[in-house]
Amino acid sequence: MVDDWSQVIPHDVMRIYRAKRDEAHRSVTSKYTILGFISSGTYGRVYKAQSKDEEGKLHAIKKFKPDKDGDIATYTGISQSAIREIALNREISHKNIVALKEVILEDKSIYMVFEYAEHDFLQVIHHYSQTLRSHIPHDLLKSLIYQLLNGLLYLHDSHILHRDLKPANILITATGIVKIGDLGLARLTYQPLQPLFAGDKVVVTIWYRSPELLMGSKHYHKAVDCWAVGCVMAELASLRPIFKGEEAKLDSKKNVPFQKDQLLKVIDVLGKPDERSWPGMRNTPEYHNVKRLEDSPNRLDAWCKQPVNFLSKLFIFDPDKRMNAREALLHGWFQEDPKPTYNVFQQQLSSPAQLPPQRRITQDEAPSMMPAQATHAQHLPAQFTQQQHLQGQTHGSVTSFASMSAGHGGHSRKKARIG
Amino acid sequence: MATDFWASSHNKRWIVDRATLKQARAEDLQYVHSPDHIDLLNIYFANLIGMLGKKLSLRQRVIATATVFFRRFYVKNLYCETDPFIVIAACCYVAAKAEESPVHIKNVVSESRLMFSQEGYGVKNFPSDNSKLAEMEFYLVSDLECDLVVFHPYRTLLTLCGRESACALDTEAGEVGVGIDSGPRYWGTGEGRLELEEGPLQTAWFIINDTYRSEICLLYPPHMIAIAAIYLTLVLNDKTREAIQAQGAPVPPPRRSSRTTSGSAHRKSAPAQQQDFVGFMAGLRVSLPTVAMIAQEILSLYTLWGRYSDTPPESGLGGNGAGEHSGGDDVVTPAFLTQLLLRMREARLADLAHPASGQPVAVNKRLERTQAAG
Ligand SMILES: Nc1ncnc2c1ncn2[C@@H]1O[C@H](COP(=O)(O)OP(=O)(O)OP(=O)(O)O)[C@@H](O)[C@H]1O
Ligand SMILES: [Mg+2]
Repeated sequence: MVDDWSQVIPHDVMRIYRAKRDEAHRSVTSKYTILGFISSGTYGRVYKAQSKDEEGKLHAIKKFKPDKDGDIATYTGISQSAIREIALNREISHKNIVALKEVILEDKSIYMVFEYAEHDFLQVIHHYSQTLRSHIPHDLLKSLIYQLLNGLLYLHDSHILHRDLKPANILITATGIVKIGDLGLARLTYQPLQPLFAGDKVVVTIWYRSPELLMGSKHYHKAVDCWAVGCVMAELASLRPIFKGEEAKLDSKKNVPFQKDQLLKVIDVLGKPDERSWPGMRNTPEYHNVKRLEDSPNRLDAWCKQPVNFLSKLFIFDPDKRMNAREALLHGWFQEDPKPTYNVFQQQLSSPAQLPPQRRITQDEAPSMMPAQATHAQHLPAQFTQQQHLQGQTHGSVTSFASMSAGHGGHSRKKARIG
Repeated sequence: MATDFWASSHNKRWIVDRATLKQARAEDLQYVHSPDHIDLLNIYFANLIGMLGKKLSLRQRVIATATVFFRRFYVKNLYCETDPFIVIAACCYVAAKAEESPVHIKNVVSESRLMFSQEGYGVKNFPSDNSKLAEMEFYLVSDLECDLVVFHPYRTLLTLCGRESACALDTEAGEVGVGIDSGPRYWGTGEGRLELEEGPLQTAWFIINDTYRSEICLLYPPHMIAIAAIYLTLVLNDKTREAIQAQGAPVPPPRRSSRTTSGSAHRKSAPAQQQDFVGFMAGLRVSLPTVAMIAQEILSLYTLWGRYSDTPPESGLGGNGAGEHSGGDDVVTPAFLTQLLLRMREARLADLAHPASGQPVAVNKRLERTQAAG
């Protein structure tokens, strides 16, 4: 025996430690039943799961891609993005931010277990544009924006920039509470050791990227998220992206190119930024490029009829003058009737067809990503009935939910991230 | 969050009491002759983190975060059952990411190997394989319960002691990042601010650096540590010390260690105008007995640290001497401490193989399995 041990020591001192840890470990599948696959994003795959404890709550489990060395998963170091998302989520708690229940590190993979959100803004937009073919009711729109700003204010007060606000990352629970998700690009700005741009050359998905970022500003702040809220709001109001530009890609040296097309789309609606209203634009790297672009009259009111005054304040070019989350929440629009509601779907509850469908789940296209027992598709219908029962769901459209067709690719919106 | 210490994971889960720390070291204590040796190991490992951090060009705050991770890890684990050297490397690697100034895993591995294998440290088998460090990172993050945001006393020091001097320190020590924003206080109700000259401010900064060599960062909230460092700075500095005594307040005996003189040496002439130091302390509305207690612990750390020497003395206590000495007041070297650790580990191993109960320890089975698998 002694010989065994002394052989172990020189080679791998940590074996005893790991053996103890592995023994104490409770695996993902011992705690959760995987109900199906939701989406595959930049950093991993998201699954719908149900807790095996008495409460049987629903969760979304985000599994970060394990790094591969050839075909074998190896340890290569946890990505900066995962560290961020985990670290920030462990510190924050707010009803308008998706709650992280736990993180499980298992088998070279990281699993983040979130509270489950049945809907998201993108899905609401699709539901109104494709299925209902009507505008999003004013009260719903106002409640969505109000709760979004409420969550954003919490983040900003906590010195966190989200940096990737877009409809797909803003979720809504079955009970109609808005939940900001995906903190994969978020950052603490409190006493940074390095300027923000040094860490990430490109932030925010192009359609939602603010003019100061498009113009190459190195020092940006909370206002980038407020611009994105403006874009999201305009999209909810008109059911299509307001600034649908083409992203100019990084060149081979990873230089960030001039985002001409995106800026043209912005100017097309808002007109050109000018130095009198935004003196700081003179100091941005792309100043001369922007000067050369052609001006165009402001026609924002044609895009978004109702709260133009509110929206135009989120679209102020000068980031220092742009309406911030607190000012937005105090804006007169939220004092006017209809007032924002606690359940954003308050008015829609009486006519369930108005409610967006439940989130579609499919069988995993890459079953190897999930522990074996998780991928038995034949188990799913039974679980659905059970879960419907548990949840006391009143929603109408179960059909899309039960659809098992693989290949639901989610959306094709461009990613902010590189690498 | 960033300003709200009270709601943080640091406050909620990682301020531990003395009994917990005692419990955490109980088994390690069985394998050393003197409890001081454990405290000396604590100093040794913090020094290693500092040196590895410097090699990796990490800022002081990143080094501090790495050290806190290391301390937290050993609240849950034993020195005698783990390899602190790879834990040190993993702590630096994760801290760099957590503080948004990442370094490449390759560099961490090669710098660690280079440093630990030096004769003075005598660590022979640091793995050369990146995946070993990445694996350690994985277990480390798990043991840290994914709580990676750490608060440090530096912030309170700068909030309390004036921005002008803070900027001077910024350029001189290169510790503070751009866009410094001292922000609102998260503790106390006092509004007091203290004008500290560059010299004393730096002394306070160095004292804070030194606290990481003990377990003080696990026991007290960072702002209390900062206040204790300011308090010590005031009583160590002759001019301010006289001023305090003139105000009739008790002052601990000046036990200035050689370690702090590096800071004190920067001292210029003391502030011309007389400040109300006692009033400032009282105005902070924090527990002054706690501040005094932390100050006392810092002084004991300096006393113990006096026995630690990076360079082996002529008589050569280092090398193979570990375990042979009863551990009185001898000077110890890194090599001695490495040897001590190896002996602890060997003894532990023997105990695991031949437990006093006669029953093999449960972990053995599992170990055999992992051995068979790997
Ligand atoms: N808590 C949740 N409840 C339900 N669905 C969720 C939840 N979290 C994420 N999802 C779904 O998974 C998708 C991807 O999640 P997330 O945005 O966090 O990952 P990502 O890898 O950063 O993806 P992307 O690159 O597409 O932004 C979301 O757009 C949403 O459809
Ligand atoms: Mg996303």
